[in-house]
Amino acid sequence: MSTEQNGAPVEAAPKPSSAPKEIPKEAPQEAASAQNEKANKEKPAGTEAKANTAESKPADATGDKKLTGAELKAKAKAEKAARRAQQKTSKEVAKGEAAVSSSPAQLGPSASEVKAKGKGKDGASAAAGTASRPGLLKAPPSAIVTEQKIQIPECFSHLSMARRIPMTQADKDVHPSVLMLGQQMATFTIDESTTRLKATMLAFRKVIESYNTPPGNVLARHFTPHVLNIQIEYLTACRPMCFSMGNAIRWLKLQVSKIDMDASEDEAKKDLCQAIDIFIAERITVADEYITEQGAKHIQDGDVVLAYGRNTLVEKTILYAHSTGTKFSVMIVDDPYERLGQQLAKTLAGEGIKVSYSGDFGGLRSHIRQATKVFFAPEAMFSNGSMYSRAGTCDVAMVAQELGKRAIALCETINITERVATDSLTYNEIDPERSSAAAFRLMFDATPDKYLSLLVTELGSVQARSAPDLLRKLEEFN
Amino acid sequence: MANVQDGAVAHDLPLRGTNADAESFDIVATYHRLLKEDPDLTMPMAAIEALIEFLGHSQVKTVYETIDLVKTQSEKLQAAVRNPIALSHGTDLFCQYLIMSLKQPPSGSNGSSSGGGKPPVDNNPHESFEVVRQHLLRNSRLFATRAKNARERIAVNGRKHLHDGTTILTMGGSRVVGNLLARAAAKHDYGWYTDPPRRFRVIYAVDPALAAQSDEVVASLRSQGVQVATIPFTALAYAMAKVDKVVVGAEAVTANGGIISSMGTYSLAVLAKANRKPLYVAAEQHKFGKTFPVDQFDFSFDQGVIDFYSANNSQSKDGRGKKEPMPDPIDFTPPELIEAFFADHKVLTPDEVAKEVIDMLM
Repeated sequence: MSTEQNGAPVEAAPKPSSAPKEIPKEAPQEAASAQNEKANKEKPAGTEAKANTAESKPADATGDKKLTGAELKAKAKAEKAARRAQQKTSKEVAKGEAAVSSSPAQLGPSASEVKAKGKGKDGASAAAGTASRPGLLKAPPSAIVTEQKIQIPECFSHLSMARRIPMTQADKDVHPSVLMLGQQMATFTIDESTTRLKATMLAFRKVIESYNTPPGNVLARHFTPHVLNIQIEYLTACRPMCFSMGNAIRWLKLQVSKIDMDASEDEAKKDLCQAIDIFIAERITVADEYITEQGAKHIQDGDVVLAYGRNTLVEKTILYAHSTGTKFSVMIVDDPYERLGQQLAKTLAGEGIKVSYSGDFGGLRSHIRQATKVFFAPEAMFSNGSMYSRAGTCDVAMVAQELGKRAIALCETINITERVATDSLTYNEIDPERSSAAAFRLMFDATPDKYLSLLVTELGSVQARSAPDLLRKLEEFN
Repeated sequence: MANVQDGAVAHDLPLRGTNADAESFDIVATYHRLLKEDPDLTMPMAAIEALIEFLGHSQVKTVYETIDLVKTQSEKLQAAVRNPIALSHGTDLFCQYLIMSLKQPPSGSNGSSSGGGKPPVDNNPHESFEVVRQHLLRNSRLFATRAKNARERIAVNGRKHLHDGTTILTMGGSRVVGNLLARAAAKHDYGWYTDPPRRFRVIYAVDPALAAQSDEVVASLRSQGVQVATIPFTALAYAMAKVDKVVVGAEAVTANGGIISSMGTYSLAVLAKANRKPLYVAAEQHKFGKTFPVDQFDFSFDQGVIDFYSANNSQSKDGRGKKEPMPDPIDFTPPELIEAFFADHKVLTPDEVAKEVIDMLM
C-alpha cells in the first residue's frame, strides 16, 4: 500500500528534483520495509534485484525496530506526500517514455526501489510479477523490470491483475495440483469462468484427498483455515478469482463446516469429495447440457446467429442446434485483442455450419444488421442484471438492441453473484499481457440488463433483471 | 418413456402390467372432450382436468411413478396439439403442484418411494401413499374448481381500474374480458358497501375470425345498457384517440410478463403504446407459465401465417407445398407494452408476473 506508485522512483531517479519532499534517509527504509512485506511473494526478475533484496534486509531490520507508533504515523504521512510528488513526475516521465524508449542506463540508480510494492491485492503489486512475462519486450532481459512496469493510475488501483508466481515463491503448503492450476490461470491457459471453476473444484478435491488432520485437531475446524485458505490465497495471487469460484468456495467452506465432528476422517473426506463431485455434476455438467438445449431452442431455421469471441457454452449451443437439424448460419465478430473466435470459426466450419468471420469491430453495425440473434455467455451475472463479460460485449449488445436484434445470454447459475455493478470499473481485471507503461487494457465490461432479451440458466429462462430471483430460489433449495 | 409416448397405439407393450388402465386412457381425447363439454374451460384448465381424470384411472403405487406418468401424459398431450403453449402451462403447473404436495406428505413417503419398485405385483397396499394420492385427488378437484372461479375474481379486481366516463377498447373473443366488462357495468356488493355500476363506453374491434364470440360479448354488454361501438380491425389506429384504456385477454402469460394471445393483440398493443394508452391484460394465474419467447417466431411450431408463393408455382422450390395456416393463430406481446395484469389473486405488473413465475414454477 505504502508504495503504490512503485514504478515512479524508477523513472524519477534520473531527475533529482523529482521528489523534493522526500526525506533522504527514509527512501531506503520505505523501499526496504515494503520489500520485507513482500519478500515471499515477489519475484526477482534478475540477479540485480536479488542482490538488492539481500542488501536491503539488514537495513530494514534496524530501521523498523527503532520506530515507535507515533513515528510510524509521521513516516506514513511523509511517505504519502512523497508518493504524491512522485506520481506527478512519474506521469510526466511516462509520457516522455512513450516517445523515447527507456535506456538501460536508467536502471542502475533505481534498482533498489524497483521491487518496492504494496500488498498482494493492489493493482500495482502485480507489476513485478509481470516482469517475468516475455512477449512484449524489445529491450535486453536486464531491462525487463523497468520496461514492464505498468502504470496504473490511482483511481484504478482497486483493479487486480493476473501474474505469474514462480513455484518456488509459493507457500510451501500449496498443493502441487493447485500450484499447477495457479500457473495455468496466470497464463490464461485456463481462462473461462466455468472452466476455472471446474478445475479449481477438482484441484481442491485432490487437496482434500491428500489431507491428513494433524493430531489434536478436527477436520471441520482445521482444514479451512490451515489448508484451504492457503490454496485459495495462492490461486487469488495468480489471478483474481472469478465470481463463480467465489460462490463455489463459499459453498465448499460451508460443507466443511457442516461435517459431523464425530465422523471419522476418512468418512469426512469421502463425503466432501462426493459433495464436490455432485456439485460439479449438478452446477456445471448437467447445467451446461440443459442450457445448451434450451439455448438451441431459440435458434430457428434461417437464423443468422452472431457470436462475439469464443465461449464454450455458445459453441456447444450452436453445435447442438446444428445437430438437431436446424438450418442457420453463424457470424463471428472477434475480439481483436484475443482472436479466440478463429478457433470457434474453425470448429463450426468443420461441422459444416456456414460461418462468416470478422476480426474486429469494423463494420459492426452492418454485421449485426445481417444477424438475427446474438448469443453471449457471460463471465458472471450481477444481481442487478448486468452482464460481466469479455470487453466489447457491451458494444455488441448495444448495437444489437438498437437494431432490434435479440441478445441471449447463456449462463450457469453458479456464475450469478449477489454483487451489483452499474459500470465496468467497479469489478474488472487488468490484462497483464496487453498493458504497457502508457496504457493498460481492461479485460471485461458490464452490460446493463436493458440490452439483454433473455437469460438462459439451468433453472429456466428468465429476464436478466430476474437474476436476484434466481439467487433467492437457489437459497431456498439449500 | 419413449414407449409410453406412442402408448395410444402400442397397447402390446406391457411396461407396467397393472397400469393397463392408464395405458388405455386416451389423454388427448379426454382433453378435447373436456374442452367441448365445457366451453368456459380454458386450455390449461382442460389439461389439468384431463390429468386429474388420468390419475383417477391409473393405479400407480409410488410417488415417482405418479410424477413420471403425469409427465409422460403431459408430453403426449403437448405433442398432440399444434400450439401447446397454453396447455403446457397447465401441465407444468399441475406437475409442480404434484411435486410440492408429494414432497411434504403427512407421512409415509419413505415406504412408498423406496419400497414400491416398478412392478407392484406384491399387492402390498401402500396405504400411506394411497392416502396421499386420495388427498391429492380431492385437492386437485378443489384446485380445478378454484381456478374456475378465477374469472369472477378477476372481474372484482379489475373493476377498480375501470372508471366512470372512460372509453374502453377491447378486441378478440376473450370471455374473461367480456365478464370483466359486464360485471363492471353492474353494481357489486362487497358486503360492507355496494360498489355502484361503472358508466363507461366500449369500443370493440371485431376480428372476422372470432366474430361469433365477439358478437356474443357485444350483445350481452348492450343488453346491460353499456354503449358499445364495433369497429373493424383496420380502424384501430383511427379509433385510438378516443380511447382511454385498452383491455385484452390472453391465452397464456409468459415468464417475462408478456402474453400470448390471438393474432392482432400485438398490433393493438403497439398502437396503444404509440398513442400512450395503457394496456391491461385480464388473465387467470393458471395461465402463467415458463414459456419465454424472445420474438414472434420463437415458438416450437410454425403458424404458417407467412407463406411465400407465386402464381407460377404453387409448389415452392424446396418441394414443400403451401403452408397450412393455423386455424387460431397467435402472437406474442412483449411486457414493455403491458401496463398491468388483472389476475384472479391481485393486480400486478409484468415484472411481478416474472417474479411469480420464478417462485411458482422454477
